[in-house]
Amino acid sequence: MSSNAKPGTAILRRAVARNGKRLWLGTVLAGIYQISAALIPVLIGVIIDRAVETGSVTALLTWIAVLVGLFGVLAVSYRFSARNLQRAIAEEGHRLRVEVAAKILHPRLVRTDRPAGDLLTISTTDADYTSYVLDHLPRVISAALAVVVSAVTLLVISAPLGVIVLVATPIMLVTLNLAAPLIANRIRLQQDQAGRTTALATDLVTGLRPLRGIGAQDAAAERYRVVSREALAATLSAARAQNAFQGASTMLSTLLAGGIAIAAGWFALTDRITVGQFIMVIGSAQFLIEPFGTLAIVPRWYAAARASADRVASVLNAGLILPEGTADPATSELRLRGVKHGPLAGLDLHVRPGEFVGVVAYRPAEAEALVRLLTVPDAYEGDLLLGGQRLEEVDRARRLMHVEPHQTDLFTGSLASNVDVHGTGVEFAEVIRAAAADEVGLDTPIAERGSNLSGGQRQRVALARALFARSPLLVLHDPTTAVDAVTEHAIAGGIRGLREGHSTIVITSSPALLAAADRVVVIEDGTVVAEGAHADLSARDDTYRQAILR
Amino acid sequence: MTDQLTVATPGESRAWLRTELRTRKTQAALTLTAGVLAAAASTIPAYALGLLVDRIRAGSDAGAIVPVAVVLVAAAVVGGIATAFGGYLTARLGSQILADLRERTIARALRLPAQVLDRAGRGDLLSRVSADISAIDRAVSEVLPGMISALLLAGISLAAMIGIDWRLGLAGAVAVPLYAIGLRWYLPRAAPSYAAERVAIADRSQVFVESMQGTRTVHAYGLEDRHLGSIEGLSARARDISMNVFALYTRFVWRINRAELTGLASVLVVGFLLVRHGVVSVGAVSAAALLFHRLFNPIALVMVTFDRVQDAGASLARLVGVLDMDVERRDGGTAPAGRELVLQDVSFRYQGGPPVLSEVSLRVAPGEVVALVGSTGAGKTTAASLAAGILRPESGYATVGGVAVTELPADSVAIVSQETHVFTGPLAEDLRLARPGASTGEVSAALDRVGALAWARDLPDGLDTVVGSGGHQLTAAQAQQLALARVVLLDPPVVVLDEATAEAGSAGARDLEQAAAAALRGRTALVVAHRLTQAASADRVIVLDHGRVVESGSHPELIAAGGRYAGFWAAWSATDRR
Repeated sequence: MSSNAKPGTAILRRAVARNGKRLWLGTVLAGIYQISAALIPVLIGVIIDRAVETGSVTALLTWIAVLVGLFGVLAVSYRFSARNLQRAIAEEGHRLRVEVAAKILHPRLVRTDRPAGDLLTISTTDADYTSYVLDHLPRVISAALAVVVSAVTLLVISAPLGVIVLVATPIMLVTLNLAAPLIANRIRLQQDQAGRTTALATDLVTGLRPLRGIGAQDAAAERYRVVSREALAATLSAARAQNAFQGASTMLSTLLAGGIAIAAGWFALTDRITVGQFIMVIGSAQFLIEPFGTLAIVPRWYAAARASADRVASVLNAGLILPEGTADPATSELRLRGVKHGPLAGLDLHVRPGEFVGVVAYRPAEAEALVRLLTVPDAYEGDLLLGGQRLEEVDRARRLMHVEPHQTDLFTGSLASNVDVHGTGVEFAEVIRAAAADEVGLDTPIAERGSNLSGGQRQRVALARALFARSPLLVLHDPTTAVDAVTEHAIAGGIRGLREGHSTIVITSSPALLAAADRVVVIEDGTVVAEGAHADLSARDDTYRQAILR
Repeated sequence: MTDQLTVATPGESRAWLRTELRTRKTQAALTLTAGVLAAAASTIPAYALGLLVDRIRAGSDAGAIVPVAVVLVAAAVVGGIATAFGGYLTARLGSQILADLRERTIARALRLPAQVLDRAGRGDLLSRVSADISAIDRAVSEVLPGMISALLLAGISLAAMIGIDWRLGLAGAVAVPLYAIGLRWYLPRAAPSYAAERVAIADRSQVFVESMQGTRTVHAYGLEDRHLGSIEGLSARARDISMNVFALYTRFVWRINRAELTGLASVLVVGFLLVRHGVVSVGAVSAAALLFHRLFNPIALVMVTFDRVQDAGASLARLVGVLDMDVERRDGGTAPAGRELVLQDVSFRYQGGPPVLSEVSLRVAPGEVVALVGSTGAGKTTAASLAAGILRPESGYATVGGVAVTELPADSVAIVSQETHVFTGPLAEDLRLARPGASTGEVSAALDRVGALAWARDLPDGLDTVVGSGGHQLTAAQAQQLALARVVLLDPPVVVLDEATAEAGSAGARDLEQAAAAALRGRTALVVAHRLTQAASADRVIVLDHGRVVESGSHPELIAAGGRYAGFWAAWSATDRR
């Protein structure tokens, strides 16, 4: 418990530390506000004692003026306290959000198995809940202050009454806190279940097209309903614990305040304090219920903030897959020697600068393993070298090699912003032509994830984007699967023409693309089994012909 | 046409809430009773203490404390119990209504027409089902119980003050219009700010989702800084808008303080005058002042949570808005009289675009496999979507067995497109989306038919392996095999494949073609084919060009005819270099 509690606590501590100035200024002002509020019942007692009881108009006017002044202090301290604290909370929530995003988008790739919906919850709800600790702290401090001020007032009026407050308050809080772990547990369960409903909703909405394709919307809605009911059960279980706690807390704090009032009443009946003092005691005791309640609720707040901070920490503290890249190779020569990774069992591959190489894997899983390895050089054996340096150690900023993912991701914007992704302003009509994407007009707006384009159009825009990068070594993976044969032929020529003088690897089994390559490397059972020109391979290798020629 | 999903008007949201409460009358009444009891219990002490003040002034003996003590203890006990029950019942009522709401919202969202969702963007919908639901969740569990008990307390306290002396009650009531003025000043200013805040948060969510789903591309192009920059920019914008809303709020609190001061001073001054004229006792004035002071925090809570309730109201409007959107409905549907798929004089254009299909007619006989061929942009995918009932024709009609495809039962026509998605959870559960309650044997048989059983059994936990986002990663070809296995399990009479074998790359495509052929066996099928092998093995080929049918016939017939299809085939075979 304590070991996995630490990461969240560290996040909360840091939130406090880095918002120090606003937080402490806000807290001091919140204290002044709280003292002013604590003095109001005292003033009510004074007014009744000095004015209502005596019938003196002067006293009435004087003390009403004091009341007005007190409200002035109260209002001003509140406004500046709240604004400072809110600014700190908003700032912290924003910083956490950006940190979570930065971690997820880290160039060295974060190691996390959380689904996208979960990450969204962490970046929104959890970042906010964590930042609320900056609200909790001032509340606790000012509530404690209010208790102290009221206690002092009570001590001045009557020492025994003050002692009762000072002794009974901690006893009550300790008693109530016994329930805190149970409540925290239930809240954690509730939040986990809420996270599950969000993750499921995200998953189903993301897969809406395939769902619709088989008319499974009702089945999906039913699946969501089941999870939603589980979340409801968790919410109700947490609500039972919380409200039982709330009821007990109300009862105990009312009993405490009532006890004080009874004692004060007895003192007044036996003439040890005046009527005005009695009212001050009652007012203070009554007023005390609120700060007492705040103090009693703190564990609950803190539990919620910590549960969220734990989740934020699990992302922020997640490891990175790639080491820091320091190597700076001179050429884009790619060499794989005896590489083992997933289905790849000792793969050798050598691509010299300027070469156009086609790679055929008889089993798609092997092609995907190769692409994955070139994208994320992790968890492999053997040598994987770029310009003679280990690939994972090459400084990514050099960008000698560009691996275009097969699954195309376009982003909301324009065709220009999706092709010329770095906004260089260089003319890009040429790559659009080479990728045969002319029909997508140059000023076409691109909707979220390119949803306004067809699959084939998305693929060709992504290809144009890859060509535009003009990387010394370009790796393409099945770039033309959603394109018809005639267009594919044109694209093969387009790639060949644009990549003249640069190295290109096309992992594919498309004859059109393979025919355009200088040489073709064939992978079977994780190793290279054949190599040669496409025409020769098709002429002499039956297996190759069957795999490639359709 | 709007680019956003619908947002309900306040009236629509209120109507929705009324209906929800009406269907839970008993529970709502019980909740209210517990709340009233809790509020009443908490006003009793001040009242009892007022009486005590008068006893003290009258010089009563110490025994006078006993009845007051009994009342105070009883009020604390009853108040505590009622608070617990009231709070729990309120939370229960609220979260049950919320659970119903989110389930209905999802059920609706899943039925939104494809075109609407594409225009509005998934981020908006995702932010509704995540951020908005959790905003309401928080309001329901944190704000609502407090607000309801505060309102009850205010009402009962005011009644108690009037009970002491109507003039004291009136003096306290002076605060009411001031509170109202405060709200009237605040709410109209806050509403647009909240709306702006919501939009800013939705924008932030959308860019976040897009970046996370596109991480591969973000990394491939080194776009991390750029995407992070836009996330940071939009997050900062949302933060600044929130701060402006809050500054407004603090000015509102000043108005609350003004109302408190006025009410309290008025009670004291009126009390002073009444005591001077001997109309009421000092104890009565004390009780009234204490009751009024006791209301400061609960009323401030109501005022303050007004904006959180409004906040939740904005979220609610966005969820109820989804409920009110037009959806595609296939309630039961009309069973088709046959298995023949017909498109008759179908025309279609996307919003504001040029015509994609012009008077296309085609007919797929029961059990026949027809391939749809054409160059890019010929309208193949659109024709497939129309045949599957995902799009509705602008004119003409698409039918199966004489029934419009949009009116068919859900298991009549299936479409598998190249967009695959592996649903998070055990592999077998992914398949069961097609047929809930399918036995393990049926699931295995479906996987076997598309040649996926071998690899599925080899997964770490076999068919129970958790796949999808965060689970075991399947290859594109495996994902597509799953999609075909779902069709087998669904067992529809008519199937439309839209480049369903495209994603895997050619080597995988051959396996997928076999899987697709197995899945189509015995069904009426329309197959959009980029790979002409699929066309060659189909019973008939239809060639589309610029949204019109230009050729139709069997593969050999069309080759012999020497038309457009023959041209395609030549280009296709030429790449063979045999």
